[in-house]
Amino acid sequence: MLLTPNAMGRRMRLGLYLTTGLIALFLLLPIVFIVLLSFGSSQWLVFPPPGWTLKWYGQFFSNADWMNAALASLKVAVLTTFCAVALGLPTAFALVRGRFPGREMLYGLFTLPMIVPLVIIAVAVYALFLKLGYTGTLFAFVVSHVIVALPFTIISIINSLKLFDQSIEDAAVICGASRLQAVVKVTFPAIRPGMVAGALFAFLVSWDEVVLSVMMASPTLQTLPVKMWTTLRQDLTPVIAVASTLLIGLSLLVMVIAAALRRRNEISA
Amino acid sequence: MKMAATASRHTNTSSSAEGAAGSTTGKAVTMKQSPSLAQRWRGVGNLIPALLFLGLFFLAPLIGLLLRGVLEPTPGLGNYEQLFANSAYARVLLNTFSVAGLVTLFSLLLGFPLAWVITLVPRGWGRWVLNIVLLSMWTSLLARTYSWLVLLQASGVINKVLMALGIIDQPLEMVHNLTGVVIGMSYIMIPFIVLPLQATMQAIDPMILQAGSICGASPWTNFFRVFLPLCRPGLFSGGLMVFVMSLGYYVTPALLGGAQNMMLPEFIIQQVQSFLNWGLASAGAALLIVITLVLFYFYLKLQPESPVGASNAR
Amino acid sequence: MSAVIKDPAQQRDKPLVSLRNLNKHYGDFAAVDNISLDIQDGEFLTFLGSSGSGKSTTLSMLAGFETPSSGEILVNGQSLVNVPPHKRDIGMVFQRYSLFPHLSVRDNIGFPLAIRKLAASERDKRVDAMLKLVQLDKFAHRRPSQLSGGQQQRVAIARALVYEPRILLMDEPLGALDKKLREDLQDELRQLHRRLGITIVYVTHDQEEAMRLSQRIAIFSHGKIVGLGSGYDLYQNPPNAFVASFLGNSNFLKLKAQGNAVASFEGQPLSIRLTGGLQLDQDVLLMIRPEKALALSVEQAQREPLAAGWNEVSAKVSEMLFLGESQTCSVVTPGGTAMTVKALSATGMPLTAGDSVRVRWATSDACVYTQWSESDLNKAAGAH
Repeated sequence: MLLTPNAMGRRMRLGLYLTTGLIALFLLLPIVFIVLLSFGSSQWLVFPPPGWTLKWYGQFFSNADWMNAALASLKVAVLTTFCAVALGLPTAFALVRGRFPGREMLYGLFTLPMIVPLVIIAVAVYALFLKLGYTGTLFAFVVSHVIVALPFTIISIINSLKLFDQSIEDAAVICGASRLQAVVKVTFPAIRPGMVAGALFAFLVSWDEVVLSVMMASPTLQTLPVKMWTTLRQDLTPVIAVASTLLIGLSLLVMVIAAALRRRNEISA
Repeated sequence: MKMAATASRHTNTSSSAEGAAGSTTGKAVTMKQSPSLAQRWRGVGNLIPALLFLGLFFLAPLIGLLLRGVLEPTPGLGNYEQLFANSAYARVLLNTFSVAGLVTLFSLLLGFPLAWVITLVPRGWGRWVLNIVLLSMWTSLLARTYSWLVLLQASGVINKVLMALGIIDQPLEMVHNLTGVVIGMSYIMIPFIVLPLQATMQAIDPMILQAGSICGASPWTNFFRVFLPLCRPGLFSGGLMVFVMSLGYYVTPALLGGAQNMMLPEFIIQQVQSFLNWGLASAGAALLIVITLVLFYFYLKLQPESPVGASNAR
Repeated sequence: MSAVIKDPAQQRDKPLVSLRNLNKHYGDFAAVDNISLDIQDGEFLTFLGSSGSGKSTTLSMLAGFETPSSGEILVNGQSLVNVPPHKRDIGMVFQRYSLFPHLSVRDNIGFPLAIRKLAASERDKRVDAMLKLVQLDKFAHRRPSQLSGGQQQRVAIARALVYEPRILLMDEPLGALDKKLREDLQDELRQLHRRLGITIVYVTHDQEEAMRLSQRIAIFSHGKIVGLGSGYDLYQNPPNAFVASFLGNSNFLKLKAQGNAVASFEGQPLSIRLTGGLQLDQDVLLMIRPEKALALSVEQAQREPLAAGWNEVSAKVSEMLFLGESQTCSVVTPGGTAMTVKALSATGMPLTAGDSVRVRWATSDACVYTQWSESDLNKAAGAH
């Protein structure tokens, strides 16, 4: 009735589709808008733009500040991804496979950084690094990003590890592989989608992180979102639209990769 | 970004892994004589690196921060008294809650039809809607907020269109005030309503609604008396999640909001960065954490199963 | 001279695997309760029992995935308890096949050899032989997900056999397949065992499967082995009432002993198998398989006098059922005991509900038990 389109009243169905279409446009509006603006020739972000140009892209790529920020972002994100997976992998194994008291509570602890408001984590970690004199270092960026990326990696790996039938690993052991060999040769390949998803999550979390980065940043070391943030507070130059478009492009790329991986997984499963 | 996986947890955790039962890690095999202790803590060693990391860089600083609220500038509850007694600070609290409430309401209203269409026509139309929702969720928060800033400003497209249509003569002030914050945040929260709600709708047996109409309910009665109550778990958990997230949001309110409608997260940052008043900031942080955790506890109570518990059965 | 003759016989008697007072406790719960069992070299032994009876846990301990709480596992007299599973040289086939999803059929079968670092040429030779043995030569390059359930299970068997283990463990390997395919694979498996002469320990909850496959069956209940022997012996002469009710169908009559070969049933004297140590008026349980009993109409009974060594009780037909190959007749005695008589349809049982009948059976066909508990007689209760 209400869940089968044909049995639904004509008027009701039309109304629903129309509302949904409008809301979907609302969701798309800012994304499409910003991409168009990055190609618009107006310094004052007039829309529709008087003409189309690539000059903002030229400005972005020729400006050492923006390029350094983008490079720093990339560096931090790659390091964060690596650390989050390295820490998350054994943790996920322990949480899924382990039999010990307080497992549920520990799971809660590991997902806590996802629940505690970012602002609070940012202020707390900022206080620590201020005391240690580490603010503005690559170390501070990576550590703070790993804190918030870790839950995403752990959850992704846990999800695929729970889908993995452990008797497959046992089969490898009974075939003569040691437990470690079995994990590396059989379990890792089987849970690779979860590991890749966890890595992608960690990368995106770090790549897009604003609050923590703003607190950790120094004039000499800032990531792309920090540069955007500080620039935004001064003026709304179209170069920010370029940076935004690049961020959106990367998100789209990751989404497509994730979808492709999921499809491949469905086929082989 | 922060909540992307929170939402996707809904769909992923229901799969169980009974296969894990009955198998153990290799180490335990050699420990014949002390099964009780070895088995009680089997596999716990793998937790040590992450536990050490979180303890050192997350828990310790967090506790340190919370302690400063009762230790600085003088030991006692002075900071908390100030927080509740000062009318300016009390307004920040009120503001935080009203923004979170409004955002939850709007994102529920806007998210419901989307979830419904995705469930109704999972192929074709619905798939497009789902992809748009996911795209919006995965797109850089800062980029989207910047876009709204430009769209909503006095000389922005929305004002221009409204004026061209003759609906208004003067540009509306839609940015650096409550309107801007609510529009921007509702927009960002919609995906976090759609995903859990859609999962709930998916689980409803369409035959129940057919039964409703055979019993004589008109489509409208059926909607309000049968469909909506069945969606309630999804509405509740999605709404609660969005409310909790809205309480702790910083970027969007800081960019789209004005000085008069500061929210708690902005307040905390301001105290630290501008006034170096760590004590008051810490009291605000403690308040935010307590509210968040209490609400999150209710959120967990609404969840049908624990994320790691499924493989627990032996 | 005599030593030479005796030697092979002795070797046959020496068990390949010995379980000695094996226990496995989870907290207060005894999953395996003091099991002792010898497994002969080359035999096909089945652990039969309902879920939770301890059969799978025992198998897991043999494989090395569970550590015994106490007790010994000996193979050729050597203790296995402290040997990790990957060094036990045991083959195992799992319930859900457990093939490596990222490897082809060929690589799945070659995996144990690759782990053992066998030369590539030797590996290929043995994998090819295995592929031929399980008739999957044409599928060597497929992924497991591209195979049917039966094919996947053949790959799993090939993978378990390729490194020529001494013992093959099989944990409900056919449970996920449909009935017809299961029977085909059972036949294949029996022939494979005959051809290779390997020792197989097989776990199942399906008694027909156990009968079809194994030389000996160990029946598990509550962590103990309650019956051990060939399918024929366990069925025809169950060692206790539990095994009797667990395997096939059975009629139980409650009697009072009147001597070592006589007992009274609802006041009527019946002859029973000679049983030592019975006391007057002691409770005894008589078990008669439905197909060993005959149901005769009153007229028939008058025409055919009771033969020596047979018993007869009167009863009333409560229901007749036609099951195709066979027919069953449910009757109730004047004392309220329900019995079932089964006969091949070809033999015929010209009775209808409400008829008076005489139920007859040979004294030698009825088993006598002096000790039992009520729950043993109840199939549903037995299958906990």
